[in-house]
This record gives sequence, C-alpha cells and structure tokens, in this order.
Amino acid sequence: MLRIGVYICHCGRNIADKIDVKEVVEFAKSLDGVVVARDYKYMCSDPGQDLIVKDIKEYGLNRIVVAACSPNLHERTFRNACKRAGLNPFLFYMANIRELDAWVTEDRKKATEKAKRFVRAVVNRVKLQKELEVGKTKINPNVLIIGGGIAGISAALTLADAGVHVYLVEKSPSIGGNMAKFDKTFPTLDCSACILTPKMTSVKAHPNITLLTYSEVESIEGYVGNFHVKVGRLPRYVREDKCTGCYQCIEDCLYTEPIFPSEFDEGIGKRKPIHIPFPQAVPLVPQIDGNLCMWLSSRKCPRYCMEVCEPKAIDFKMKYETFEFDVGAIIVATGYKPFDPSKIPQYGYGIYDNVYTSLQIERMLSSTGPTGGEVLLKDGRKPKRVAIIHCVGSRDENYNRYCSKVCCMYSIKLAHLIKERSGAEVFNFYIDIRAAGKAYEEFYRRVLSEGVYFVRGRVAYVTDIPENEKEEKEVEKGRLIVVVEDTLLGKIRRIPVDMVVLSVGLEPSDGAEQIKRVLKLSCSADGWFAERHPKLAPVSTNTEGIFIAGCAQGPKDIPETVAQAQAAAGEVLSLIQRGEIELEPSIAYVDKEKCSGCGVCVPLCPFNAISLKMDENGKLRSEINPALCQGCGTCVAACPSKAINQNLFSREEILAEIEGLIKD
Amino acid sequence: MDVEEMLETYFERINEIPNSDKFIQCIQCGTCGGSCPYGMGTLFTPRRMILAVRAGIVDEVLQSGAQWLCTSCFTCSLRCPSQIPITDAVIPALRELSLLEGNPPEELAAALMNITRYGNSFRESPRKRDRWIKEVDFEVPLISKKKKAEYLFITECFGAYHRRCKEITKAFAKLMDLLGTDYAILGNEERCIGDLVRLCGEFGLFEDLAEKNIRVFEKYEFSKIVTHDAHAYNALLREYPRFGFKKEVVHHTQFLYNNLEKLKEMFGKLDYTVTYHDSCYVGRRNGIYEEPRAVIKAIPGVKFVEMKRIKENALCCGGGGGGVWLDSFIKDHIKERPAESRVKEAASVGADVLVTACTLDVPMFEDALKVTGLEGQLEVKDISEIILEAIENS
Repeated sequence: MLRIGVYICHCGRNIADKIDVKEVVEFAKSLDGVVVARDYKYMCSDPGQDLIVKDIKEYGLNRIVVAACSPNLHERTFRNACKRAGLNPFLFYMANIRELDAWVTEDRKKATEKAKRFVRAVVNRVKLQKELEVGKTKINPNVLIIGGGIAGISAALTLADAGVHVYLVEKSPSIGGNMAKFDKTFPTLDCSACILTPKMTSVKAHPNITLLTYSEVESIEGYVGNFHVKVGRLPRYVREDKCTGCYQCIEDCLYTEPIFPSEFDEGIGKRKPIHIPFPQAVPLVPQIDGNLCMWLSSRKCPRYCMEVCEPKAIDFKMKYETFEFDVGAIIVATGYKPFDPSKIPQYGYGIYDNVYTSLQIERMLSSTGPTGGEVLLKDGRKPKRVAIIHCVGSRDENYNRYCSKVCCMYSIKLAHLIKERSGAEVFNFYIDIRAAGKAYEEFYRRVLSEGVYFVRGRVAYVTDIPENEKEEKEVEKGRLIVVVEDTLLGKIRRIPVDMVVLSVGLEPSDGAEQIKRVLKLSCSADGWFAERHPKLAPVSTNTEGIFIAGCAQGPKDIPETVAQAQAAAGEVLSLIQRGEIELEPSIAYVDKEKCSGCGVCVPLCPFNAISLKMDENGKLRSEINPALCQGCGTCVAACPSKAINQNLFSREEILAEIEGLIKD
Repeated sequence: MDVEEMLETYFERINEIPNSDKFIQCIQCGTCGGSCPYGMGTLFTPRRMILAVRAGIVDEVLQSGAQWLCTSCFTCSLRCPSQIPITDAVIPALRELSLLEGNPPEELAAALMNITRYGNSFRESPRKRDRWIKEVDFEVPLISKKKKAEYLFITECFGAYHRRCKEITKAFAKLMDLLGTDYAILGNEERCIGDLVRLCGEFGLFEDLAEKNIRVFEKYEFSKIVTHDAHAYNALLREYPRFGFKKEVVHHTQFLYNNLEKLKEMFGKLDYTVTYHDSCYVGRRNGIYEEPRAVIKAIPGVKFVEMKRIKENALCCGGGGGGVWLDSFIKDHIKERPAESRVKEAASVGADVLVTACTLDVPMFEDALKVTGLEGQLEVKDISEIILEAIENS
C-alpha cells in the first residue's frame, strides 16, 4: 500500500509570497495515495524535518515528497530525515517550487497552479521509486599534483608532511614556476628566491614526494579514489641519479660562450645547449637541448661534456620514459603564462629595442639574472626615464576581458625597484590602481612618496618618431615617446622615455589545455579551470577527487595562491582520510537481454564509464562501471534499443512525472 | 533643439548601429584620445564626448566643433578596449545633431548638398560621370550595353570627377583591359556610394543613396563589385548588406593580388625605392595588409621599404570621414596635418615613391608634398598606377 506524505515549504516569504501554499496543500490531499499533506515555514529547519520523521513513524508513510527549493540545496537534508525515520532515502523526491516557480513566475494564480502541477508530478513519480542502496569504494591514499610552481610546491609539502605520498609532475626541467623568476615580491619586498628555494629543496628531499620534472601527464583514467595515471618523461640526456650539479659539463661544452636565448631569462639572457636554467634549480641537473646540441643534431661533436663528467651522468641514449601509478586524488596547479604583447602592435614590443615585458625586467632585477641585478638599456646605459604601462592584454575586449589582478601591484613594485637600482624617473600609466590586499594600499602610498609618477590613462601608442626636434626640454629625438591621454588632466601628453615596461597580464599556461582534455575539466570562456562553486567550493571541480589551486583557476597573487594550494591539500586530506567513499546510486545500468552491442553509448559517455565486453555467449554487450558513472543520462537517452536504464530516472518514472505536469 | 531632445535623438541614432550597447561600458581609459591624430587639437576627445553625452552636456560638445575633428581613421575604434563603435556611431551621431542644428562647417555642408542634388560632391552633372572613358585609348564597356559582366567596376565620385583621381581610375581600367577581365561600369547611372556621407552623420542621405544604388545594381547581371575607392569598398562590404545588397565586393588591391601571376608575366623593371601607405579603410578597417605588399614586391627592380607606422598603426591621410571637405576647418585646429607628417615619414625612410591604395590618399598626399617642400623628391602613386608603369616599362 502506498502511503505518501507531501510537505510544502514557505521558505519564509520566498515561496509563500508568490504561491498560495494552503491551496497547494489542499490539492495535494486530493491526490491518490497521499495520506498526509502539510505546509511549514521552513521545512529545512529542525522542527520542519521533525514533522517528516514524526509522520513517517505515526502514519507509516512509505513515500515522501517535499515541495521547496532546488534539490541542490536540501535533497541531502531530507534524505537524511527519511533515513532517521527508518525509511530508505530513495523513496523521497523533491519538487522545486522556488527557483523554478516562485522566483520566476509573476502572477500569483499562475504560480500556484504551476506549484500544484509540480507536486502532482512528483507524487506520480515517487509511487514508482524503489529502494536503492548506496555503494562504497576504497580510496587510494596517494595524490597526484600537476604543476611544480608555488601552488604545486605548497600543496605537495602540506600533504607530504601529513604523511601522504605525493607525485609531483612538472613540465619544465626545474620546479619553481614563475615565482622563481621574480626578484622581489610585493608588498613586503621579500626576496622571492629566498622564500621559494628552501621550499624547492624540501620538495626534493622529502621522502613522501616523488618528483617528476621535464614530464607531462599523458593520460588519467578512473574515478575519485582510484585514478590510474600515466606520465611521460622527456630525455634530458643527463641522468638525475648520477649528476652532482657541478657545472663542469656546461663549462666544457663545445660552445665556449652561451649564445642561445634562455627561456628562464625570458630571452634576454643567453645559455648553451647544455644548461641549468638557474643556479637554484631543483633538480640541479643540466638538460641538453636536442635541437641545439651538436652531437644530438648532427653527431659532429667531440662530446667534451661526457669526457669531463666524473660521475658519468651524461647519457645520450636516454629515451622518453613512461611512468604509471595509482592515486586517489589530483590537484591541478598548472599556473599561468604571461600575455604575449607582440599581439598589440602599437606598444612596439619586438619593434623597439628598449620595450620589455615585466617578466624580462624581473630577470634584469634578479642578482642571478643576465645583468646581475642592474636595469640596463640594450646598449648598456642606465635609463634616465622609464615608463611602465599597465593592463597590457588585460581589461581589453580585443585580448582578455578580465583584470589580471596582480599587474597593478607588481608594476608598483617594479617602479620602486627600477628607481632604486637605476635612479631613473619612473612613470606608471594606469587605468585604475587596484591595490586591494593586506598592506597593498600602504605600499602604493610608499611608492608614491618615493616620487614615482602615476598618470591616469591607458597608453595609446609608443613611437620613436620625434615631433619636437627644436625644443631642448623633454627631448624626443633618439628616445621612445609614450603617447597618452592624461584623463585627469584632460590633455594628450607625449612623454619621452628611454625604456618601456609592459605590464603584461596572465593567461592560462600552455599545458592547461592538455590537462583539461585528459581530465575532462570544465573551463571558463577565458580558459581558466572552473571551480565547483565560486564561493563555497573554490578549490573543488565538478569532478569528484580533482581539485585546483593557484593561477590555474584564475589570476591571483602569491599569498592567495598558497592559501588555495593549502586549501586544496586540506580538501584532499579530508577525502583520503575517509578511506572509502559513497557512490550515488542514481546511475545507469544495462539490460543485457536488450543490448545489441552496437556501441553507440561508448564514445558518448563523458566519464569513460562504458565499455563493450564479450558476454558468456560470445556476444558484445555494453557494460557500465558503476564507480565511474555519474548518472548524467546521456547513454540512457542515446540507446537505440532502450537497453540502458537509470536508477531514480527510469522511463516509467520520467513519464509519470511528465504526465503529472501536463494533465489537465 | 533643447538638450533633452538632442540626447533623445542621439541615443535613438546610436541604438541603430551595431555594438552601440558598448557605449555605456566606456571605462574612460583615454586610449581613443591618445590614438587620435587630432587628439592634441581638441577639447573633446572621444572619451570626453562619451562622458559629456552621459553627463547631459552634449550641447557643449557641439559648440566646441570637436565632432568635426575626426578623419574616421578607425584607430580609436580598433584599439578601444571596450570595443565601442566610436567611428561608426559615437562621432557620426554627434555630427548628425550638428547638421540638424544647422551649423556644420561650410565646405562640408556644400559637399553634402551637392551629393543630394547631383549624386556627387563635385557639383558636376551626373551625365559627365563617365567622361573619363573618352580620355583613354581602349574601350571601357558600359553595363547598360553589355548587360552582363563578371565584375562591376565602381569608380565613385573622386575616381570619376577629380582631376588627379581620374588617372587612377584610368590606370586600373587599363589593367583590367590588359588582363582581359570581363568587367563593365555603370557610367551615368552610377551615383555616390556614400560612405563619407554616412561618416559625416547624414544618415538619411546615406540610406537614400544606398537604396537608389541597389536598385540600379539590381537591373544588371554581374557577380562581383570591384573598386579602387577604399570607402566605397567599405560601405558596399559592411553597410549595403543591411539594405539587401549581398554580392561579393573586391578591393582593387585584392583583385591585383588575385591576378598577380598573370601580371608578373607582363612586368618590366622599375628602378624605385617604394614604400606603401596602409589606407585606413583598406588596412585598419578591413584587414587588407599583405596583398598590396605582395603585389608591389613582385615588381622587378623595386626596392620595398617600410615606414615606421604601418598596418594597424598606419597614420591617416586626413581625407576620410569628410576630411576632404574640412581642410580649412582642420587647419585652424592643428599644427601639422597628418598627410604632411606622413609624406615626411615616407621621405625619411628613403622612398622615391609613396604607393597608396585609396583614391583620397593621392590628392591629400600630393597637397602635403607642396606644403612640406618634398615635391620632386617623393612621388605619390596609386598601386594600379605603379603596376601599369611596370607593365608599360617592359
């Protein structure tokens, strides 16, 4: 015998203002099988839930309908209430009369009518619902972290210190990411290397961390708690297990001088084919550039490097290697890359010698950088005047719409450092100064008081065509001229300078695209990984067991990145400490009798949960891995033989619901 | 009109123009003002125009005359981080108010009046529009006789009447003749295409011209339009489709590029150092940068040099957006006209010939040669003229 209880929520005034709740209750009472129908101000409150618990016991209810808000919010609440009363929670269902009705329907009469139909639809479908059991699966306690910048490093150390084994995979030859390139950090002017490199060496030394540099994630299969990972490592032609980092091979390379642009120094410093990106690199092992090395490219080299290497670490036979391992959770920390300003032709990057990106200036300022910490023009002179142009590639519909968030502050920092090192007059050209952060505004004030100029206007263009050849002040000839509308002064200004620094914005790193494909993660239109909830689940993704941290999720500064990385580590710990996880039972299953083995469903499944398997009679049949299925329903709708069904969303249940909605 | 009415008229107009919803997304960054070739000479840069309109003081903008200090060069629009259609909406809508108020600069008012009356800005009889074909030694086919052609060649007013620009028309027609192109002209049935009219804010006249022109086009069978007039190209490509015109439009630089293999066979040698000026409505507005360069570089003997301000950053000749009719007005407001700065730049990179691809450029630059004293040192030629010269030199 079906004994249904229906509960209509007022949600304060959210629902009751637009829907005549009493009328809906009366209507519910008239429906076949409904034993009790009630309304309450807040069904989700403790007394609201108690109503349900009491009624189940008192009236022997075996089906529960709650008409309230979205199941996203309170399905779990009411399922638990049913459980407390001893009822299988899958005999309950929610009607959403708030988001889908009260909030979007103007007319009270129409809204009430709509609510009645929603209630009738759900009453119809609960009659067909069956008891379901929640499955469980064990969680592998190891963790994969993709990206070895400050986000990946922070998360790795937090987890490793808690006893978790971490696989840290970094694409470039050293960990450290972009932060390793900075000279100092705002607003405290901490030396970036001084605070970062101890963490890098800790990663290397930590017994719980397996570090895979110069490596890329090839594929990841599986599901929360049970991911199978394949990582490929490129050959660096120097064996990490043997190399002592003595630099002898680099010194004795056939190329006596470094002549190739160094990636780490953003092209302004030079390196040899065999090189270590920077002195604090981890691992401190050289890498041989296969395209430039004389031996690797043409076999014409005496290979002095091999000769001088005492531990015999140079190995030209090294090949691409693949590693496979299992993890229970993944943190994606793929970071960012700087915007390429040659896309904006009016700023003269790549055209004029003394137009640099902010990251190139960071390398100049670094004491281990190509100029040993001096800010120098191409010809070796010190600049007398420097322009820093903000928002390059950011806040611009033609390039990136978003604010890159860190450029204001790093531009202010660069202004301070350039002035300090070179004594130059520094002009910052800004649209708005965004100094929102602890001690940021104070830092802005400090740099203002140091005499740095701030001109409010987005620079229109940089040119070297002088217009004031006869004047003796503000000489333009032989310099770069920054043309800007000073929007506060209401005048067009031409400001001659010796050096232009472009404060380039942040873009998702090149590796992010591959990771997005491998993990089937969703991204914002700009390419940043999407968090599950912008406020309440900022480091979770829509895929269970996969978390994000740092700039992979969007532009952010170092403190925020570290906070997010440690938050992601916390989420991972919370997950793996459980030991096992519950699996939502509303998943799809195959009726082997009906399945023709056509395979249509296999490529459609977004979670790779379906495979074709031979059955005992030698026939191909679809098989759904219950641990992988997320219950999206794609295969159910696609199956031409109607052989796939889904718990809680059977054809009969859905048709009953539709009938309840459309019947007059 | 009182200010209220002005604002109402203004917004009514800009709301008809694509992307004008971006108007209220102006972040007051000043990119437009700094990019404007007249930014130094005006009280109201586009940024301040937008600000003033939003503050309800549109009358002050009109009184300043700033709306007429625009060559429609499109630099501000291309660089605007909010993608506000400054050139197509913000300025022309202000100009429309100025026309309605009855105080546009005289020269310009006369030009618009002539276009209304005669279908051309030169106050010439429409019957004389194809007079140039009597000045050439080959037959130029009329579509009214031929009925059907692959290309309809639009000469536009400057190309038909202007003493100097007519030479470009002749040169391009000769090239089509030499290539054996199946083309024809409208002759006396052609009338102003009207891009400058639109940019000057005479929206009603522009619509009228477009509708009449399309009716004429519909009489004949042709598959494409070809024109050497950058503004005619722009209007036919971007504006006429709104009135139902759907045919392919080809700029003569594209046409020459598509026929480059055939042209190469005919080329003789030219001993010039050449630089190329990217006209606003060929380059910046419509993205044609490489085709004209490829054509020029293919001429044997030509040494090609680039100026500093090229492609997206090219400097305007000052003739667009009604600039040709505003010469004396503009002279009052700025120190040096853009065309003067441009020819100096061409000379500074060592060019003997400044090649352009827009009919307005040639008279603008030749005038600037006189002012700057560069006459004799630098020559100005349309791309079709230098191509023809290369052929005739073989």
